[in-house]
Amino acid sequence: MQLLRSFARAAGTAAILLSTTALVQAADVSFLTHWGPDTVAKLEAAAAAYTKDHPDTKITVRAVPFGDLLTTLRSSGGGADGATIAGIYDAWLPDLSKDKLVAPVPDAIAADTKANWPAGVVSAASIGGTLYGIPNEIDVYALNYNKKLFAAAGIADAPKTWDEFLADAEKLTDKSKGQQGFGMINSWAAGVLHPFASLLVSNGGDLVVDGKPTLDSKQATETFDLYEKLIKSGYSDPQMATADANTTGPFLDSFVSGKTGMIIMANWWESALKAGMGDAFADVATAPIPVGPSGDKARSISYSWMTVVNAKASTDEQQAAWDFLNWLNGPTSGPNGASAMGDILMSMGILPSRTSDGAAFKDKLDSDAFLKGYTETLANAKGFPVVLGGQEFSESLQKTLEAIQFGQLSAADAQKTAQSDATEILTRAAQ
Amino acid sequence: MNTRTQTQSAIAMLAPATGLLAVFIVVPMLLTIWLSFQSWSTQTGFDTARFIGVKNFIDLFSNSSIGRDFKAALVNTAVYTGLSVVFILPLSVLFGLLVHQKLAPGGIALRTILFSTYMVPMIAIALVFSKLYSPTEGPLNQILGWIGIPAQSWLSAPQTALGSIVVLNVWQQVGYFTVLAVAGLTQIPDTLYEAAKIDGANPLQRFFTITLPLLGNTLLFSSVIAVINAVQVFEPVALITQGGPVNATNVLTYHIRRVGIERAQGGLGSAMAVTLMLSLIVAISALFAFARARSRGRA
Repeated sequence: MQLLRSFARAAGTAAILLSTTALVQAADVSFLTHWGPDTVAKLEAAAAAYTKDHPDTKITVRAVPFGDLLTTLRSSGGGADGATIAGIYDAWLPDLSKDKLVAPVPDAIAADTKANWPAGVVSAASIGGTLYGIPNEIDVYALNYNKKLFAAAGIADAPKTWDEFLADAEKLTDKSKGQQGFGMINSWAAGVLHPFASLLVSNGGDLVVDGKPTLDSKQATETFDLYEKLIKSGYSDPQMATADANTTGPFLDSFVSGKTGMIIMANWWESALKAGMGDAFADVATAPIPVGPSGDKARSISYSWMTVVNAKASTDEQQAAWDFLNWLNGPTSGPNGASAMGDILMSMGILPSRTSDGAAFKDKLDSDAFLKGYTETLANAKGFPVVLGGQEFSESLQKTLEAIQFGQLSAADAQKTAQSDATEILTRAAQ
Repeated sequence: MNTRTQTQSAIAMLAPATGLLAVFIVVPMLLTIWLSFQSWSTQTGFDTARFIGVKNFIDLFSNSSIGRDFKAALVNTAVYTGLSVVFILPLSVLFGLLVHQKLAPGGIALRTILFSTYMVPMIAIALVFSKLYSPTEGPLNQILGWIGIPAQSWLSAPQTALGSIVVLNVWQQVGYFTVLAVAGLTQIPDTLYEAAKIDGANPLQRFFTITLPLLGNTLLFSSVIAVINAVQVFEPVALITQGGPVNATNVLTYHIRRVGIERAQGGLGSAMAVTLMLSLIVAISALFAFARARSRGRA
């Protein structure tokens, strides 16, 4: 009897302990990103600030190189044990949402997001009207040029039209010094595609309209021709163009060492330029993309990033993840009415997309000549198409543009191939 | 013990090992073959797979972007494998002879140095070689410049990128195959060389009439391993070139990863994996057939 009572007491104690444990059970939230160690440290600091008031939530950050981000997300991130939160590129959203890997944003947070972010950015984070992520960074492309090389070549201002652009590229090219007028990129899909797309939209064209590729347009013909001219005339040297998704390689080396006069790149690479150039970064200036013969004004390509939540994570984890993201992107988590996310992004020279962050960082944005060139471009930027099969479309067009760079395809053949491959890929993906 | 009991005992004893083999090798292989006939996203359960017959295989050999990319990757893999084997085997025999000879000291030290490259992690090799190959700032082009040879494009041009990756592979693997060659050389009796010397055979004649024929089995084994290793190349491509430029280094394993995982096209990726497996079986069978034909010729 004594034994039975002891057993009953032990069972009762265990039951109470177990139920208490369940009540205070921490939600483990993991955050998958492609950011570098310095930025990860800032994110971890923000997470620590959040968990101080939310001791039930444990947040860990995992970083992988950009080139491995989608694969990591696909191979391990989609399971119940995968990352709870992931930072993704908007072009990946349609495929991830089709495979039900990302959870819709809860209604209250979705309403807040729609009220505090520009409509275009919200649209890029939505599929069929459903919001799947909280947008954070916005990137836009502009012309970067080396003022020192411009002065040495007797060029006063940045080119405004393609004719001026070609004339300047010619003046800046000096093979005896191993110097090229314009630096193209290869071996990195977005790096190859975005400068081309920026020139295309600045010539009045588009990559995709209503889900259908429009690479057979007159504007696209002129853009493919421009690429061919730059290569054939030697103003751009493809062997100085290799880059990977972390911008390392000959492409970056050539620009930072003053061997490339002009490039078209996004705002986010300011930190890479500063690290590579040191004091010589002062020689870098930013200008709008030159306008093509069929264009009406300087335009560019923009794309955004967002944080999404794993649809296969448990309900508790999803709830904790959204709460953390809402705080991280909200106006109380950062300095002077900015979000902590905005603060993290600004540390990398990346433009935050939340409207109030733009106001909070206005002074900083206005005083940074490099970034100012980008913020001025943003108003006339067109969003990179967010369609099913976007990654395959990008890689296919990358291959075709590289084939022009290395003289394997003429401009006309490249255009024909690009349009036919894009049609096939987007049609197949939409099925 | 009667025959039936013996059979039952044998089955009982073999069952654990064969069961494990079935679970971890045969089942995934059969699953891959089954998936190659399906339309399936790797992000969804197997229950969502839809049978589409041989469409994936037709797509692989069509003139669509899927087919062109796959065929280019298949050719790149074949070229990479062929070049790797063509360079690794003769070099391994040459280094094996250097290590095995007893005329000069330092054989063991040389063997250690050669084998050490095989132990270096690929990530370290990739970091070093990507800098060595840099067209503007790389030491290789600077050294070539000192002796009047113009700078090479290495990884920066489609014409030279795959060859540059082959050089990296040969550099890393030749030490391992040298050890195999040395193991083969130690099996050749010295008496054969002594007899040949008495008969007046010079070193070259001794190499072609004694060393090379008696190294046949070692070289066959080395060829099979070298082919399998080369076909499975992935790390240098993923770490250095990402398949570029213009897909010049896009080998099949990397392409399958891109299609099957990054784009989640599991059925298509499985069809590629099955085709790669069949190609490998054909290549290895051809090697054995070649070796058998040579043995018969000698007999």
